[in-house]
Amino acid sequence: MATLVEPLDQRPNVATANIQLPAVESYEQVDREIAGTLVPTTGWFALLGISIAFFLWGAGAWVYQIYWGLGNAGYNPPVMWGVYIISFVFWVGIGHAGTLISAILYLFRAGFRTTIYRCAEAMTVFAVMTAGLFPIIHIGRPWKFFWLVPYPNWRLIWPNFKSPLVWDVFAISTYLTVSATFLYVGLIPDIAVLRDRATNPVKKRILAVMSLGWRNSEPEWRHFARMYLFLAAFSTPLVLSVHSVVSFDFAMAVTPGWHATIFPPYFVAGAIFSGIGMVFTIIIPIRKFFRLQHIVTINHLDAAAKLALFTSMVVGCAYLIEFWVAWYSANEFEQAYFWNRVFGQWWWAAWIMLSCNMIFPLSLFSQKLRRNPTWLFILSILINIGMWYERFVIIVPSLSHEFEPWQWSGYVPSWVDVSILAGSFGWFFMWFLLFIKNLPVIAIAEVKEIIPPRLRSHAPVADIDVTGHHVDYSPETPGERE
Amino acid sequence: MTQPPKTVVKRREFLKVLGSTGAAATAVGCSMERVEQLIPYVVSPDHTVPGVSTNYATICRECAAACGVIAEVRDGRAIKLEGNPDHPVNRGALCARGQAALQGLYNPDRYRGPMIRRDNRLQPATWDEALARVRQGLDEARAANAASGVRFVSQHENGSFPGFVDQWMAAGGFGAHIAFDAEADLAARAANQAEYGSAWPALDFTAAHLIVSIGADFLDGWGSSVAHQLSFADARAKLGAAPRFVYIGARRSLTGLNADEWIACRPGSELAIAEGLLGAVGGTSTGTMAVAATASGVTEAALQRLADELRAARPSLVLGGVNTPDAYLVSQAAARINRAAGNVGVTVKPDQGSTIGGADGARALAALATEMNAGTVRVLFVRGANPVYTLPKAAQFAEGMAKVPLKVSFSSYPDETSELCDVVLPDHHALESWGDSEPVRGTLGLQQPVMDPLFNTRATADVLIAMARADTAMAARYTNAMYRDALTSRYGGGQGAFTAALSTGLGQGSALARSTAASSAAAPAAPTAAPQAIAGDGEFFLVVHPSPALGAGAGANKPWLQELPDPVSKIAWQSWVEIHPSTAARLGVHAGDHLTVTTAAGSVTAPAYLYLGIHPEAVAVSLGQGHTAYGRYAQGLGVNAVDTLGATYDGGGRLAWTQAKARVAKAAGHSRLVSTEGSARQHGRGIAQALTAAQLAAGETGGAHHEFIGDASHEFLPGLRAPVANDAQGDLGSQSSTKKGMYADDHWSGMASRRWAMTIDLSRCTGCSACVTACYAENNIPTVGARWQGRSLRPFHTADGAGWDSTPGANILKGREMAWLRIERYFEGGESGETDFETRFVPMLCQHCGNAPCESVCPVFATYHAPDGLNVQVYNRCVGTRYCSNACPYKVRYFNWHGYGEAERRQFAFPDPLHLQLNPDVTVRGKGVMEKCTFCVQRIRDAENRATAEGRSVEGDEFTTACAQACPSRAIVFGDAASEEWSVARQVEDPRAYHVFEELNTYTAVVYLKKVNHPGGPR
Repeated sequence: MATLVEPLDQRPNVATANIQLPAVESYEQVDREIAGTLVPTTGWFALLGISIAFFLWGAGAWVYQIYWGLGNAGYNPPVMWGVYIISFVFWVGIGHAGTLISAILYLFRAGFRTTIYRCAEAMTVFAVMTAGLFPIIHIGRPWKFFWLVPYPNWRLIWPNFKSPLVWDVFAISTYLTVSATFLYVGLIPDIAVLRDRATNPVKKRILAVMSLGWRNSEPEWRHFARMYLFLAAFSTPLVLSVHSVVSFDFAMAVTPGWHATIFPPYFVAGAIFSGIGMVFTIIIPIRKFFRLQHIVTINHLDAAAKLALFTSMVVGCAYLIEFWVAWYSANEFEQAYFWNRVFGQWWWAAWIMLSCNMIFPLSLFSQKLRRNPTWLFILSILINIGMWYERFVIIVPSLSHEFEPWQWSGYVPSWVDVSILAGSFGWFFMWFLLFIKNLPVIAIAEVKEIIPPRLRSHAPVADIDVTGHHVDYSPETPGERE
Repeated sequence: MTQPPKTVVKRREFLKVLGSTGAAATAVGCSMERVEQLIPYVVSPDHTVPGVSTNYATICRECAAACGVIAEVRDGRAIKLEGNPDHPVNRGALCARGQAALQGLYNPDRYRGPMIRRDNRLQPATWDEALARVRQGLDEARAANAASGVRFVSQHENGSFPGFVDQWMAAGGFGAHIAFDAEADLAARAANQAEYGSAWPALDFTAAHLIVSIGADFLDGWGSSVAHQLSFADARAKLGAAPRFVYIGARRSLTGLNADEWIACRPGSELAIAEGLLGAVGGTSTGTMAVAATASGVTEAALQRLADELRAARPSLVLGGVNTPDAYLVSQAAARINRAAGNVGVTVKPDQGSTIGGADGARALAALATEMNAGTVRVLFVRGANPVYTLPKAAQFAEGMAKVPLKVSFSSYPDETSELCDVVLPDHHALESWGDSEPVRGTLGLQQPVMDPLFNTRATADVLIAMARADTAMAARYTNAMYRDALTSRYGGGQGAFTAALSTGLGQGSALARSTAASSAAAPAAPTAAPQAIAGDGEFFLVVHPSPALGAGAGANKPWLQELPDPVSKIAWQSWVEIHPSTAARLGVHAGDHLTVTTAAGSVTAPAYLYLGIHPEAVAVSLGQGHTAYGRYAQGLGVNAVDTLGATYDGGGRLAWTQAKARVAKAAGHSRLVSTEGSARQHGRGIAQALTAAQLAAGETGGAHHEFIGDASHEFLPGLRAPVANDAQGDLGSQSSTKKGMYADDHWSGMASRRWAMTIDLSRCTGCSACVTACYAENNIPTVGARWQGRSLRPFHTADGAGWDSTPGANILKGREMAWLRIERYFEGGESGETDFETRFVPMLCQHCGNAPCESVCPVFATYHAPDGLNVQVYNRCVGTRYCSNACPYKVRYFNWHGYGEAERRQFAFPDPLHLQLNPDVTVRGKGVMEKCTFCVQRIRDAENRATAEGRSVEGDEFTTACAQACPSRAIVFGDAASEEWSVARQVEDPRAYHVFEELNTYTAVVYLKKVNHPGGPR
C-alpha cells in the first residue's frame, strides 16, 4: 500500500476513464470492502449521537426563536439577513459539487469521479435538505412559508413571480427532486448487491423493493445506463441554474455590493469550490477509517484537488473583478462599500474569505500537497470556513453599509444563530452517517467497471450469474460470458 | 380598574367597558388568540356612533405654555391629541410632549385609587378613609393653633387653579401656597416684566433680520416652544430674506443647532457678552468687547463683527435665557439690547404677550424645606410637582418631609415625592379635568374632560371644594359643589356661553389671578444685582440643561418620550455626559466610557457622548433621568443631574442648573450609547441638501435639475417631477392598454388620478421630533427600548479594564427601533478642529417610490403599489422575508422582531391601560411582519369615504397626515400632487425641490426642499 501514496511512474490521465485501482483484484473484494463500511461501529454510534445532539440543540433553539420572535437572533437592522441566509447559500453551494461530480464529470468521462461521486451525491441531497430549512427558519412567520408556493386557492392570490425568492422556491425544490432521483437511480445496482448479501429477511425484503427487482440483466443495464445518462444530462444545467438563481436573490436588489452582473458565474464557481471542499472533508476520513485508500486513491484526490484549484482561481478572479468594477463604475456607494469591506469595519471577515478561498488553495499548485491527504483535509476545512465567510462578506457588510449613512450598523450573531447553524451541521451529518451505514458510500457497480476484467487478471475469484447473483469462482465456470 | 359604586351600569361605565373591549379586541386582532365578543349598544348614547370619533377641545398641561389641543375620542377613549387650530399659541401644532400627554393619561403606573400609608407602605383605601385622615390632620393642626403650618405645593399651571388654591388656603387660614414650576425661565419672566411690562411678550421672528439667542433655547423648552417654532419657521421660510440666526452659548442645544452661527463661549460669560453687545448697540452698559472676549474665550474680533451686524440689521431680535445664576441679568441685558436696537414693538411685542406669571421657583421650595426641617409645617399638600426629585439634595426637602406629621399627595403617579406621603388622593389627569388658562391676555383657553375618569380618582379642585364645604369655617365661601361650576360662574355670559365656548376651547375673559398675599411668601428675592461667577473645584464647567423630551423629569414615565431620540445626541432611554472630542482625546475617553462628574454637591457617572457642540472647557449632562420612583418607564434609568447641583438659584428663584465647575474622571465601566445614529456625516451623499442665501439669490439650485421622461405630463403623475409605477409591466405599463383596472385614469374609483405625495421643507424643519411622536400615537407604533424588552449583555474592553456592559435598550442598540418616521441629524464641517459646524435635520420616512425597489422583491405581494401612488404594506400577507428592507435604499422599513402587541410577552409595548390609546383604525402588527409609514392611509381612506358619503370629491388640503398635522414648523405638507387644489402640488414646483437618491430612479413621492443657510461674513 505504501506505494500508493507515491506518484505513479506512469501518471494516469485523470480527465479520462484511464483510472487504475491496482490494489483491487476482484469483484468480491469490491463487494466485501465496500459493503464492509455498513457494519456499525462504536465510533459511528458516537458520531451519530453527537450529530443528533447538535441537531436537537439547534431544533430547540429554533422552537425558542419561533415562540419569542426573530429578535432572539442577532439581526441588527438594516442587516435584515444574517446567519440563516448565509448558511442557506453555504449549504446550497455545498450541494453543487455533488452534482458536478456525478453528472457533469460523468458526461465528460472523467474517470476520477467514479470512487467519490456517490459520496458527493449523497452530500448534495443532504446539503440541499439542510439548505431548504434555512429560508423557513429565516422568515418572520415560518408557519406561513407555503405562501411562497404557487398553490391554487380561492383567493386567487399567487406569489409574485418577479421576486427572486419565488424563483428560489422553484430552484431548490427542483434541485432536491432531481438530485435525490439521480442518487437513487445510481444506487439501484448497488442496492441489489446489498440485497444479495443481506441475511436478515426483513432487511432483504426492503432492499429487494428498493432495488426495484434488479436482476443484472443486459436490458436492465442498458436501460439503467440510458436513464443514468439522461439524468446526468438533466442535472447538468441545474448545477449552473440553481446557484445562479440563488445569486439573483442578491443581484436583483439595488443594494451596493449585491447589484452586480457577475454574480451568477461567481456564485456557481464558489458553489462548486465549496462543494469540493466538503467532499474532501467527508471522503478523506471515510477512506482512512474504512481503510479504502486503495479504492479512493491518491490519484483521485489529486485530480479533485486540481478541480478545487481551478474553481478557487475562478472565485479569486471574481473577487478581484468586483473590486475593479467598483472602482471603474465610479459609483460612490459601491466604492465606499468595498473599501469598508476590505479595509473598514469588516476587514477581518473579508480577509478570512480572501485567504481561505484565494490564497491558501494556491498551495495546490504543489503536487506534493495535492497528494497529501492531511493537507487536503486541513485545506478543505479552511475552504469550508472561507466559503461560509464569503457569504457573510456578501450579505452582512453590504447591508450594514448601504446608501443611508444614518442607518449604518454592525452585526453580531446571537446564541440562537450559532445554535441553529451548529444544528444544521448536526442535521446534515446525522443524515450522512445514517446513509453510510445503510447504503454504499462508494459506487460498487461503477468501481467494478474499472477494475481489470476477471480473465485478464491472474486471480479472478468471483463471478455473477445471469440472475445477478454472485457465484463462487470455480475453474469449470466459463470465463467471460458472452 | 375602578369599581362602580352602585350596581347600576352608568352610561359612561358602559361606554368604558365597550371602549376597552373594542380596543382589546383590536390589540389581539388577527392573531390566534381567542375571539372576544363586543357588547352592542342597546340604546345608543347621544352623539356617539360606534367607530366614529368625537373631538373635544381642551388644554395641554404638559408644560407652562398651555397649548390648545383637540382630543380625538373613539368609543369613550381619547386616542389622539392634535393641536387646536384656533388656539392663539400653537395654532394647530403640538410638540412631542403634548402628544405624549396620552401616555400620562393611560400610564400603567398611575394610582388607581386613594392610598393611605399603613405599616409604612402606601396601601389602597377608600376615599372616605383617605379624606377622613386628611381632615383629622387639618383639625390637629388647627387644634395646635398651627393652621399656618398647613402648606400647599402645586405644579404651577397657567389659569385659575393657582389662584383657586390661594383662596382655599386663605379661607382655611392656612399658610402660603407655592405654585412650583421647575422648568420655566422665571428669571426671564421677571426681567421681561421689569423691562417690557409683560412677563412673556409675543416674539415675532419673521420681522427680524437678525436673531441672536444668548442661551435662550426657544425651540426646546424656553417659554412657549411651539409658538416660537411656528414663528421661527415662518421666518426661515423667507429663504433668502430670512433672518440670520446667531446662537451664543456653551452648548449647542436643539435651538443652537438651528443657528447659522454658533459663538461658543464659556458658561457664565454670557452676561459679559450681553453687556458688551448692549454697549455696542448704544445702550447703557459698563461692558466692553474686550472684557467679553476675555471672559468668554471668544475672539474680540468675532464679537465685534456680531456687534456690527447687530447695529446694521434692524430690526433684530435678541433673546437672553441662560441657566446660570446670572439668568436675570442676561435676560435684562437682552431686553435692553432690544430696546436700544428699536426692536420693542416690532419683533418683541409686549402688548400681545402672555400673562403667565405667579409661578414660584425652587428657592421658594427650599425655604419651605427649611420650615419643614424646623418642624413648623404640620400638613403638606403636594399636587403635580415633584420637589424631592427636582430639588438639589442640599435643599433637604425629603428630610424635611419626614418631619411633617401629614403629607398629602394629589399626584397621579407614584413619583419620588408622593412615595414619601402619608395619603394619596390621586387627581384626574388633565384630560379628565375641568380647568382654564389664559394663554394670551383676554383670551381664555378652556379645559374640559374628554372622557370619563379611567380610575377611581377625583379632581383635586373638587376634593378641595368638598373638604371646604364639610368645614364649617370654609363652607360659606364655597357655594358651588364642583370646580366646573366655579369656572362657569366666573365666565362672562354664564353657563350657556361657557358651553358654547367649549366647542372651540376658547373664550373671552381672564383667569383668576393669584392673590398677592399668598404669593408674597413665596415671591423670589430681589434679583441679584451682582453677577455671580461660576466657580468650583475642577477643570470643567458643568452645563446642566433640561431635556427637550423629558423636560426636568416630568416626561420620563412616558415611553414615547423615552423612546424619542434626543434631538441633539439621538440617545434614548439613557443619560450621557457630553464632552468635546478634543477634550475626550486629551483624556483618553472614547464614546461610551463612563465619566464621573464631581462637584462639591455630589457626582454622577454616565457614559460619554462626544459632541462637537459643547465648549471644550465644559461637559454637559441632561436633566430628566435618574428617577428612583415614578413608574416602570422612568425608574432606574440614567442619572439625575440635579445630584451635582448645590442650592444656588437664579434671579427668578429657579435652580441655577449651570452653576459650578466640576472634576471629570474616567470611571471603570463602559456602556454602548443607546443611539439611533449610524453615521453623523452624510459622506457627500446628498441626503440633506442645502444652499446658501447667496446661491439662492444667484438663481442656483445647488445641483443639476434632473428632468425625467414623463415629467409632469406622465399619466400617473401630473404635478410631480417623476413618473410613478413606471416598472409596471404588461397591461399596466402600456400606454394604449385598456386593461389597467383600477390603475386606469378613468376607473370609477378615481384612484389612479391621484398621487399622494409629501414635501418636507428643510428650511423650516428644526428637528424638534414632534412628528415622530405624533406618528407613534397615530399608528400604534410600539416602543421597544424598555429594560425588560431587552438588555445588551456584551463584554467590553477599555484601557482601564474589561467587564460586562448590561445597558438596557438592547433593541435600540441593535437598530430595532420602530419609528416609521425618524429625524436624521447630519453634521457638516467641524471635522478638522473648527468650532462652528452646520447641522441638517432630515425627517426620513417611507418615500412611497413610484418605482419602488421593495415591491418587486416581495415574494407574496405583501407590499405593492396602489393606484393612488401609495406603497402599501399588507401585514396579513407578510411572511417576513425582510427582502423589502434589504432592497430599500432609504432603510425605512421596520420589522416586528418580537410580539410587541402580545400581552403575555415581556416585550409587550402596551401594558394595561396603555392599550386603550391604540388607534382602532390601525392594526397592531403581529410578530414577524414588516411595517412602515403608510402616509396615514387610514386618514386618506377616511377622507375618501367621508367625501363619497357626502356625495362630493375630496377637497384640497381637506386632511393631512399625523406628522404634518403636528409639525410646529409647518415643514411637512401632504396631499395629492396630481391636483392643483392641494398645496403640495405647488410645493413640488419649488426650485429647491429634490429627491433623495434621485440617481436610483426610485421616483419618490417625498420631495425635500433644500435648506437655505445664511453663513454671514468670515468670522
